[in-house]
Amino acid sequence: MEVFLFYAFAILAISSALLVVSLKNTARALFLFFITLFSMAGLFLFALADFVAITQIMVYVGGVLILMIFAFMLSNKELLKDLQQISGSLFSFPSWQSLTLALAFFGVMVLGIREWNSMELPQWMLNNIQSGDVIAPTDNNIQQLGIKFIDTIRTAFCR
Amino acid sequence: MSDIILHIIVAVVLFGFIAMFALFAVYAERKIAGFVQDRLGPMETGKYGLLQTIADILKLLQKELINPSATDKILFIVAPVIIFGAVFLGYTVLPWGPDFIPASTYTGLYFIMAVVSIDAIGILMAGWGSNNKYSLLGSIRAIAQMVSYEIPVGLSLIAAVMITQTLNLNEIALQQGILSATPIKFLGVWEVTDIGGILAWNIFQAPHLLVVYIIFFVATLAECNRAPFDIPEAESELIGGFHTEYGGIRFAFIFLAEYAMMFLVAMLGAVIFIGGWNTPLPNIGVLRLADWTTGIAWGIFWTLAKTLTLVGIQMWIRWTLPRFRADQLMSLCWKIMIPIAFACLAISGLWRILVMN
Repeated sequence: MEVFLFYAFAILAISSALLVVSLKNTARALFLFFITLFSMAGLFLFALADFVAITQIMVYVGGVLILMIFAFMLSNKELLKDLQQISGSLFSFPSWQSLTLALAFFGVMVLGIREWNSMELPQWMLNNIQSGDVIAPTDNNIQQLGIKFIDTIRTAFCR
Repeated sequence: MSDIILHIIVAVVLFGFIAMFALFAVYAERKIAGFVQDRLGPMETGKYGLLQTIADILKLLQKELINPSATDKILFIVAPVIIFGAVFLGYTVLPWGPDFIPASTYTGLYFIMAVVSIDAIGILMAGWGSNNKYSLLGSIRAIAQMVSYEIPVGLSLIAAVMITQTLNLNEIALQQGILSATPIKFLGVWEVTDIGGILAWNIFQAPHLLVVYIIFFVATLAECNRAPFDIPEAESELIGGFHTEYGGIRFAFIFLAEYAMMFLVAMLGAVIFIGGWNTPLPNIGVLRLADWTTGIAWGIFWTLAKTLTLVGIQMWIRWTLPRFRADQLMSLCWKIMIPIAFACLAISGLWRILVMN
């Protein structure tokens, strides 16, 4: 069930993100972006980061997405028409920068996954697993996050 | 497998409850409106008009689904589902009795804040998809109102959470009654862990939470777009606002979402501030009233009693006060409620450090 849900969220996130950049209708693309953000929040849940997942919905859906839709509604219609003409097809010349960036990022991800499979777990992970210092789904993550914020992460920045 | 079936059953039962609640809340609303305006309300269908709303929903269900020709079809159809789904998601983390809760998560309260903000997207979607100036104006008003009023709601919830020290709604309710594991002090001085009842509620553990609760109540009233804050709907100016173009079952869903939201915020306020499923009756000597009236069945009873009373107050306010103007609405939010909420936030911190340690 969990595997099924994970892949459902992943496919939803990727396909809706692809649709967001390729849809001609800007209003629909913006509303579709909501589904991308929502399924990303679902994926965060699978990383046992429920606080991050809810913050994702709260900040992006409740704030940023509404701002984007308002910016779209208040912007000049002629200007939008020009923009829509430029981004006509997915692989047109003006989008070569984004295409390069996307391919480079994809390459980094593929490399990362290959490296990960080919080597053993890092030493700090093994140590933590041995001492039982791992997060379970039933743990109170918020408390740990708060303590970490006050304790470790603060000192990391203060040094 | 049985786990999945249980999850589905819980969702279906909750949906059924919300639908039944909406039916009879509409009836109650009409009767209260009749009482306030010195008339009888629905009297024709059934005894005392009891079947009126059932007749109404039957009429709505068999209506034709009309798609006006200029609408954005997908957005227009999806919007009611998102509006209702956002509110329905909020019910997953609300406790009904001692440890009787659909999902006991450590992020419960934060989750409710987040999913309720999805509601705004649904309303904007309905307004934009309808391709109607009245709808768009209504939805823009709704967004301005909901985004502004999320701030006092958030601040008042933070002020309460600073006292309770947890976001788990079941634990928040647990800390306000005789089942509490931590000592409870009435007004910070008198230990009432064994006495319980009304004395152990959060608004009496820290008296400034009474002010916070009033802010929360008014701000959530604005979040559900209820009168006197119903300028997004404004029948006389916007002929219904964002749901002008909707008919049939889609309109029923938007209506259902409004009543579900009323119940959600009333229950949230009840759980955080006035004890949730805890009994209001204290133990007095050998008269163990609090012990006798605590349990799952009693918990559901007290939750329903408190929540329905609050919903009744919401309806009473709706039919008593006239609608706010848009600028009055914003100045009430930004100039009055947010400063008071900030002051209460500071008092909460001091109270927790100096009195409740």
